[in-house]
Amino acid sequence: MRKGFILTGFSCLLVLCLSAITVCFENEALGAEIPGTLLGDKSDGSRAHPTHLIPLVSENEDGEQGGIISPDDEPLLPFSMRWTCGECHSYGIINKGWHFSAPDPNIAPGRAGHPWILTDARTGTQIPLSYRQWPGTFRPEQLGLSSREFVKYFGRHTPGGGAGELETEDMDEIMREYVSGKLEINCLSCHNADPGQDQGGATGYAVQIARENFRWAAAASCEFASVSGSANDMPDTYDPFMPEAPEDAKKVPPTIKYRQTAFDQDNNVSFNIVREVPDHRCYFCHSNLYIDSAETEKWNTDEDIHLTAGMKCVDCHRNGIDHNIIRGYEGESSASANNLSAASSCEGCHLGEKDSSSPVAGRLGAPVPEHPGIPPVHFERMTCTACHSGPWPQEKTVLTKTSRAHRLGTVGVNKAHEALPHISSPVFAERENGKIAPYKMVWPAYWGIIKDQEVAPIDFDVVKQKVGQVLANEKLPASGDWPALSDENITEALKSLKGAVEGEPVYVSGGKVYSLDDSGKLWSEEHKAAEPYLWPIAHNVRPAAQSLGIRYCTDCHATDAPFFFGDVAVDSPVVTGRETKQMVEFQDVDPSYARAFAFSFVFRPMMKIVCLGSCAIMAVVLLLYALKALACVVKVLAGSD
Amino acid sequence: MYQKIAIIAFLITLACIVLHRIVVPSNKRLPGNSTSHRLSIIGMLRILVYLAVLFCFVVLAMTGFYPTLVLGEHISGYLVMVHATFAPVFAVFLAVLAVMWAKRWRFTSGDCPLFERIVRWATLANGPVANNYGESSCLGQKISFWLIIFLALPLILSVVLSMFPLFGTYWQELLLGVHRYTALVFAMVAILHTYFIIRT
Repeated sequence: MRKGFILTGFSCLLVLCLSAITVCFENEALGAEIPGTLLGDKSDGSRAHPTHLIPLVSENEDGEQGGIISPDDEPLLPFSMRWTCGECHSYGIINKGWHFSAPDPNIAPGRAGHPWILTDARTGTQIPLSYRQWPGTFRPEQLGLSSREFVKYFGRHTPGGGAGELETEDMDEIMREYVSGKLEINCLSCHNADPGQDQGGATGYAVQIARENFRWAAAASCEFASVSGSANDMPDTYDPFMPEAPEDAKKVPPTIKYRQTAFDQDNNVSFNIVREVPDHRCYFCHSNLYIDSAETEKWNTDEDIHLTAGMKCVDCHRNGIDHNIIRGYEGESSASANNLSAASSCEGCHLGEKDSSSPVAGRLGAPVPEHPGIPPVHFERMTCTACHSGPWPQEKTVLTKTSRAHRLGTVGVNKAHEALPHISSPVFAERENGKIAPYKMVWPAYWGIIKDQEVAPIDFDVVKQKVGQVLANEKLPASGDWPALSDENITEALKSLKGAVEGEPVYVSGGKVYSLDDSGKLWSEEHKAAEPYLWPIAHNVRPAAQSLGIRYCTDCHATDAPFFFGDVAVDSPVVTGRETKQMVEFQDVDPSYARAFAFSFVFRPMMKIVCLGSCAIMAVVLLLYALKALACVVKVLAGSD
Repeated sequence: MYQKIAIIAFLITLACIVLHRIVVPSNKRLPGNSTSHRLSIIGMLRILVYLAVLFCFVVLAMTGFYPTLVLGEHISGYLVMVHATFAPVFAVFLAVLAVMWAKRWRFTSGDCPLFERIVRWATLANGPVANNYGESSCLGQKISFWLIIFLALPLILSVVLSMFPLFGTYWQELLLGVHRYTALVFAMVAILHTYFIIRT
């Protein structure tokens, strides 16, 4: 009996010890992923820049931590951001940040943002893509694009991570991934303050991604490394960790060279890393070019008023180690865990949070706006940006170029104003939040299959093969504009697709869906699937003196005011589909009412005069009889009655 | 909040009218209000102005209070256009009404003997107190008339001044509040005034 108790107690003790040991090992293994455990995960309070004299660490063939890189290594490998920066900063936390989390279905998509736009003039394709669940965008796989292909197209204007690190089960993709590597987060894209950081240069980050040198791209962008060759040219069997000379001598395998002087005696390298990202780093991916005049050179246009006033992008767009950066829109706090998101919107800084316990208006020196003479209904029906952001509205929307859509800042970019994709702005539209705001707009143009009134895009490779063949003889403008497609072109292309895909092929363009009837005749109708995709304009913010309404109400409430009655170009490669719509059609406002209301402002000054005059007469009558009453009282008090 | 207050206010107004009709018997007609004798052109004009003001008031009240009381939302769309169209017309006719009817609705010594006695007692003044109680039935009309003219000033000015670039958002909201609550009181007084007119 006693022996039994001792034995049971000993067994329990043994189990407890084993559990404790297991937990310890697990913690050690997870150490790099637990928040606040690494040196650089949490600041000690100093606002000074920490020095980054660190060793470069490579990734091994298993995707794990490799060795410390020495310039004499053979073969010389590119340093890995995951293992170099991840030594002190939890990579597993950072890669959940906004810039890297698009493919993660657990991350709330938030307000619709800038999509990736797959463009091909030859096939009349211009389609917004996104891994985020933004209504109106398509997931890359819907067009048959693998994550590798997506990264090859668009990774140039990402800081890596996201789709670049997606796992795949496709054996072909796995083999290609071994050759090219994954596109890790490139911390240097944002945080390297060295002027040698090369995102868009001849051998920089964007070029390396186009060559499928994903493993080398981050290193190639830094100031002390250069990469040549192309993983794209290498066969699936190429092993970058034991490279052999390719059979075709013209093909060069990806190779990295480090500047010898960059290494100290301990093989450490000094990075000029800054916590506060310089504006020009943001601009690489977030530049806009509004083609509202012939002169679009940088010196002809002003920057956002906040930057002109001396602020930096990251003064508002802040984040911690989780890289959950503030996007800065109204209502973001409901979708973001960033505790400063509410305080960092326009209202947050300029008006202060309504439920804050302490006064917070005027953060960062933000002036508190008076808005004299603006009826409060404007603040219920419009966003701050409606009056303050983007280019001043003109009779017609203007073509707009963005870094991400037009590869701005990279080598060999088409500088023609008409280059695809065609983005129009500013479009004053009312969206989900019920407020009118300025937007950029793109009209989707793609080949799809219609079923139950739902249109699904056709695999892009099939489109290129079938439609590309039919339209091969159509002249493509040198400017990169659409070819002028006729109804006959569309008919022929749809016929060619009919046998190649299952279902009823259609062409979506300019707000319409084109399809063939039973007799093979082309017909079109407006369709929900063809509606334009819009995303808000937040910058550039204009100074208050250039805001809408600064002159008079008729800045917007005039019968020809662009805010309501400006023309919005309906973009389409189909010549007969090119037309214009009025801005008011995107605002959930009755156009007749908008025009009548605008017309009433012609009489507004007269109305003011009449009302003030009437008030003056009534005041005189009141005063007169009040004085008479006073006279009576005086008489009574004087006893003369 | 405003919706509830407005509904309660109108219900109280209606209750007051019903109560008044039950408690106070209908008075004899005022000599001036008799329709038996022929009206002069000025007299007809006066009545036309009165009717025009009444019509404008009905339109403004309908367009102003319908969305607030029935739909529970701010005035907007075509209603605001109708409202803004009739508002200056109303202001003009109200000014004319003030000029034309002020003398008729001025307070006289016989309007409220009780008040007169209190004044005399307070001031130790001597002299006879008017005993023309017959005209005291106009008191409600007179008070409501002068209240209408008085309330019209903040009612109109609160909106017109907000159209000038003088007042910021806080004051704009305040002016809007002044307009809405003044409009409510104005409507109550106008309804009472109309009731008194109909009764006499």
